[in-house]
Amino acid sequence: MKRYFKIYWTCMRSAFLAAIAYRMDFIVSSIITLVGNVLFPLVTLLIYRSGASFPGWTLYEVLLIQSVFTMSGGLANLIFGGVLWTTMSHIREGSFEVILLKPLNPLFFIVATTFSPDSIGVLVGGIALFLFSVAHVDAIPLLSWLPFAALFAAGTAVMAGITLMMAAMSFKWVGNSRISELADSVLHFGKYPLPIFPKSIQAVMTLVIPVGMVGFLPASALLGRVEATDFAAVLPCFLFMAAGAWIYRHMIRLYEGVGG
Amino acid sequence: MSGFKHQWRVFKTVADVTYKEWGAYRTHSMVSIIVGPVYFVVQYFIWTAVYGDQSSLQGIELSQMIRYFGATALIGYLIMDFADWNLSMLVRTGKFLTFHLRPIHHRSFALFQKVGHRLLGFLFEFLPCLLIFIFIFGVDMRPASYLWSFLSVALAFLMNFYVNYTIGLTSFWLVQSSGIRSAFILVAGIFSGALIPLDFFPQWLQILQFFLPFQYIVYMPAMVFTGQYSLGGIQLAMEQVVGLQAVAVLITFGMNELVRRRAMKQFTAVGA
Amino acid sequence: MRPVIDVQHLTKTYRTYKRGAGMGQTIRSFFRREEVIVHAVKDISFAIGQGEICGVLGPNGAGKSTTIKMLCGALYPTSGDIQVLGFSPSRDRKRYVSRIGAVFGQKSQLIWDIPPIDSFHMNKAIYGISDADFKSRLEELAELLDIAHVMEKPTRVLSLGERMKCEFVMAMLHRPDVLFLDEPTIGLDVVAKVKIREFVREMNRKQRMTCILTTHDLEDVEELAQRVIVINHGEKVFDDSLQRLQLFLGDKKLVRFTFTDSTRGAHFENAYTRVIERPSDLQITLEVDTSLISISEFIESIARKHHFSDIAVKELPIQQVVMKLYEGEQSPPDMQSTPEVSLSR
Repeated sequence: MKRYFKIYWTCMRSAFLAAIAYRMDFIVSSIITLVGNVLFPLVTLLIYRSGASFPGWTLYEVLLIQSVFTMSGGLANLIFGGVLWTTMSHIREGSFEVILLKPLNPLFFIVATTFSPDSIGVLVGGIALFLFSVAHVDAIPLLSWLPFAALFAAGTAVMAGITLMMAAMSFKWVGNSRISELADSVLHFGKYPLPIFPKSIQAVMTLVIPVGMVGFLPASALLGRVEATDFAAVLPCFLFMAAGAWIYRHMIRLYEGVGG
Repeated sequence: MSGFKHQWRVFKTVADVTYKEWGAYRTHSMVSIIVGPVYFVVQYFIWTAVYGDQSSLQGIELSQMIRYFGATALIGYLIMDFADWNLSMLVRTGKFLTFHLRPIHHRSFALFQKVGHRLLGFLFEFLPCLLIFIFIFGVDMRPASYLWSFLSVALAFLMNFYVNYTIGLTSFWLVQSSGIRSAFILVAGIFSGALIPLDFFPQWLQILQFFLPFQYIVYMPAMVFTGQYSLGGIQLAMEQVVGLQAVAVLITFGMNELVRRRAMKQFTAVGA
Repeated sequence: MRPVIDVQHLTKTYRTYKRGAGMGQTIRSFFRREEVIVHAVKDISFAIGQGEICGVLGPNGAGKSTTIKMLCGALYPTSGDIQVLGFSPSRDRKRYVSRIGAVFGQKSQLIWDIPPIDSFHMNKAIYGISDADFKSRLEELAELLDIAHVMEKPTRVLSLGERMKCEFVMAMLHRPDVLFLDEPTIGLDVVAKVKIREFVREMNRKQRMTCILTTHDLEDVEELAQRVIVINHGEKVFDDSLQRLQLFLGDKKLVRFTFTDSTRGAHFENAYTRVIERPSDLQITLEVDTSLISISEFIESIARKHHFSDIAVKELPIQQVVMKLYEGEQSPPDMQSTPEVSLSR
């Protein structure tokens, strides 16, 4: 365990050093990912500006959902963001063996070596939007932060699970650089108040692909809108991440079977 | 062989070869069959909720809004373009030289390529999504006028190409043009109207759109499809919109030609 | 007779800007850029007649590629004059390039994901070749290069040699009068190299096609060219027949030994042997004059005195050829740029 922690620390450090070596690129790409990810609340802003609204939600409440979503996405990208691209290129070049040769858990190795400092921009942008929204919604009781933290962790687990599933898919759908678009499209459901969708979609987005939980539930906790039963939704979230890891490891095993 | 006949043959061959080239990846483009409808569904519920019991927002009715988003998704598949990426790749790898040494203009070649590539998009992205929109979602996807919609999409096709090709030309000067490209894609994404109709933007931004290339690429053809166009308080008839698009394409082409000539000067001076 | 290629006082100078490394420098260079003037080609003149194959030799960065690019019309000279087939390459591009062909070892014309035959069809359309011409020409080229069986396979599954042969077809379909070859055999195995050289010779013989060839590989030149131009630091340092170059260089080969026992104290220098490199007591690279001793005799003479585990015989690297032309100039031999025949014991 200690060894793994040390390896992770080393990888993280060298990822930062590499990013700093290409300062200009790092800054430009951070800014672009930041702007790109922080822009989608613009639609919400324009809708409210025109006098319309999501029924039952004020502008800042919706922005709160979207900022939590952005933070979650930034955090998951920081840790898991590089897994998809690295897996995809290794599979396409037929060089995945390089990873299997290391005396480490292959999934851990990929996650550790693909730490993506670029995503810090997104995380910071999300935090800024979050603080802004928190300042504008009704006062948040101190006790609400605890359920928020738990639900936020669950949401980030969902994001990680999605990335792992996409990466697993790239084992089969070789060289398809558009796999990430699939994830992006489904994630759209998580950026808006869940109740605007019909019950069937809500059920799918809570239980099967729990992206509905990423922004909506943690934000609801801060707004004092969760009930005890809502915490049951944490379970599918972690199950989803576990499923992602399992599928990915299963694909590695299949690859070893064919490639070895 | 006469000049025109020769061009036509080159056009057919390049389009055909590109179709085959990307046909190897047709399962990739089928990602669109999931992505397109998913985005549409999200948009559908967002706007249904937002309209609530208001009958119109910014002068647009809900049914028109739904048709608008259906149209932006489908038009996207018809006019999608990668000329910028392709050209910068050719410059970076030095392969642009192999085009310079053949009796053809790379820009014409790239345009013919796009036709072949989009033919593939038409079959494997546009048609399946159109059928899903009509038969599963029950959206009325009949354009207000077939003729004007066709012309408008065709002009948008050219507009997108010339704009992207111009962006691609910057790689003759810049080693890293990916920054410019992603920044442009970002801005284009907002102002194209695919996220939200441009009527929702502040008045000054709406007026500004007439002088920027973005609205001519997605917003205009989508509005022509719905049969109603207004922006910045300016109402235009369909033939006026298409005329305006044609003017925009001509101006963009002219600017592209200027940049292209300077780029060729740069290329033949330092062999970028 | 007028030469097919006539180059007078060709000079290419370009200006680049120093790029900063760090961000501070990048920003500073955005406002005030430091100019660097590069003299890529300095006052080169030569003429090549119809049906000649001319090899252009020189180390990396010597100005070979710049010269070829200017001859093709892809790069404009700073001063001087080029006439190829009566054209000035930088003018009337479309008509000029229809008459020439070019193969660049590292810049492919083929489309990666589809079979070469489709790329051939594309060039057929681009050059406006008639159906009948295309058919007979393709048959002829496919036969000569022995690629009929690979034309229908996707380019990405072909070997480098097969791909290179298809690049030649791409460049030859329209029957060019002049063919430009830039490092055409780079990275190829011996069999493919031989085939390609045979092909160039055949095209040259049958059609009196003029050919200019830049290469790192002395063997390419020896096998193909009648005429050799050597360029170094942008200047022409040699321009004469292949025989004269060979005479000048003598028949020299490099032989590298890896010994099993220390050769400390042993002497290798004599009338026909010169030590090029001796990194340790177990390794040595010798230059042997094969006009005085055959390679087999030489190896035997060494084997009598020392045990060795590995031996490699190489052509003189181009770096050394140039070095000889520029007497006194010292630079390490370039080991990678020559083919080698390695025998293990």
